[in-house]
Amino acid sequence: MVEKRLSKRNRKKLIQPGIYAGVIIVLSLFPLWIKSPYWTHIFILTFIYIIATVSLRTITISGQFPLAHAAFMGIGGYVAAIPSKWFGWSPWLTIPLGAITAMGIGILIGYPFARLRAMYYAMVSLFFGIGVLQVFFVFQRWTNAYHGLTGIPPLLSVTSKVPYYYFFLGLTVVCLSILYRFEFCRIGMTLKAIEQSHLVASSVGINEPRYRVLVLAVGCFFVGLSGGAYAHYVRALSYTSFDLLATLWLFMYVLIGGIGSFAGPIVGTALLVIVPEFLRGMKEFVPYISAAILLIVVFVMPEGLVGLPQLVESWMKKHREKRAVHHAS
Amino acid sequence: MQLTLITIINVLVLSSMYILVALGFAFLFSIMGILNFAHGAIYMVSGYICYQLAVEWALNQWLSLFLSVILVGAFGLFLEKYCFRPFFGNLNRTIVVCIAIIIILETTVNVTVGTLVRSLPAFVPGILRTGFISVSAEKLVTVMIGGSLLAAMVWFIRRTKLGQQMQAISQDVEGAALQGISVHRISALACVLACGLAAVAGCLMGAIFNLSPFMGGHMLLKALELVILGGIGSVGGIFFAGFVIGTLDATLPLFIGGAACEAIGIGVIIMVLLFRPQGFFGREAG
Repeated sequence: MVEKRLSKRNRKKLIQPGIYAGVIIVLSLFPLWIKSPYWTHIFILTFIYIIATVSLRTITISGQFPLAHAAFMGIGGYVAAIPSKWFGWSPWLTIPLGAITAMGIGILIGYPFARLRAMYYAMVSLFFGIGVLQVFFVFQRWTNAYHGLTGIPPLLSVTSKVPYYYFFLGLTVVCLSILYRFEFCRIGMTLKAIEQSHLVASSVGINEPRYRVLVLAVGCFFVGLSGGAYAHYVRALSYTSFDLLATLWLFMYVLIGGIGSFAGPIVGTALLVIVPEFLRGMKEFVPYISAAILLIVVFVMPEGLVGLPQLVESWMKKHREKRAVHHAS
Repeated sequence: MQLTLITIINVLVLSSMYILVALGFAFLFSIMGILNFAHGAIYMVSGYICYQLAVEWALNQWLSLFLSVILVGAFGLFLEKYCFRPFFGNLNRTIVVCIAIIIILETTVNVTVGTLVRSLPAFVPGILRTGFISVSAEKLVTVMIGGSLLAAMVWFIRRTKLGQQMQAISQDVEGAALQGISVHRISALACVLACGLAAVAGCLMGAIFNLSPFMGGHMLLKALELVILGGIGSVGGIFFAGFVIGTLDATLPLFIGGAACEAIGIGVIIMVLLFRPQGFFGREAG
């Protein structure tokens, strides 16, 4: 019995890296198979949003629900775009600059916000996100927030999308590996302890505010990175990508995929970005598809898409039991 | 003199409409524990229903206001039964449902009416003139309707049995259920009231300002500000916060630009919440 369980665990240990490696290999062969620049573009956007959503989930493992994540993406984006456009700085310099600025602002607000918990934290960060957006409007001369900032210098001086594809694939793999290590090292465990009970955690000597600020800083750094990369890839910024609805959409990606597991936001983002693109022909009816996906997942799968295999397993088990009872009688 | 009077009227219009929407939002939050992000979309849709009835089908405008409130109230009943009740106490899943509702409502308006900005005709056209002062009759009527509805709501919550049951549930769900209060029935009532109040505000604001499919976001933000700033579970707090925010919104644009004034308002709210997370009049909660 014990041996069997061990072997099962060993198998799982092998399966998970196998799946990740398989996905990466398939994705890196993808441009050989599909030549359409449009689909390459969609995949690049998916990679950018995957970095943003996974960093959002990393913050939530400490029990904080920041409703300002898209605003941090906006900080990264605008801080990367403005020096690059107006002063001609190199994008390779401005993208890290945007990420570091987002991280710095995350640390600055992290200390006062660490007083707040649960609902109050979510609400205050929501207002902070709105405030950041209004600050973009105040500096209209630089950000051109109302009409959209265009003509941002490109990251790579190529017309084809394939080099971008490999760049963003590499960036996503590197960011996700760092965030994965972060979640499953000692710091990640500490954060999970804070999430379960902050009183017990601080009673065993964990400096709770410091860890909460730390995870906020890490999450903001990566989302700032994705925002900066987004600005230099799309080469146009509009405030609607960073408002309250955008933040809620990032949360949707996480919740639909499953907030309880690392793969959740990856699956959720891939599904919600790519599936509506298959149905482009429906034009203005496309949002109905997203709404239908949201409703189906929320009514049928309480754990999100990641919980689907378990759900199917339990259904099959129930079915088998029913059949067994039927045969017995 | 003229400017002062108009500013006062604007303060009253904005605060009464904000309070109407926020009161419904607060009902849903304190009774069912739901952050109804779809509240702004419901407010928007009611304006469009009124537009459809009054302008496209040429009904009497007051009748179409009434019908729009009834329809949106019925939609609230549907929401409570099929969208909120299955997820009682699970905040994450109700947020997903609310986002789905926002998408469905906004897309439906886009598809049927179109994205162009529309406007409702004035309920009471004309201007009241006395001496040096002239006031838009529309705004006065809006203030009067808003004020009387708010007074009626306060009377309902404080004095009637149903209102007291609502208060009991917002204080302790299990305790209220043990006293024989039907939690689901009161939740349904709260949901209908919330949607109805948002509908009244949507129609009246649609006649003063313009209708657009995305006007809900602004109102949702105001409702959140009022409820959080006033304090969860406190009706008086919502009124106070409503006057504060209405005053800021109606007077600050006289002196500085719109975006800067929004930024200052948000900054003030964040500062207040950092020192008093439970809002002005809220009770301590976990």
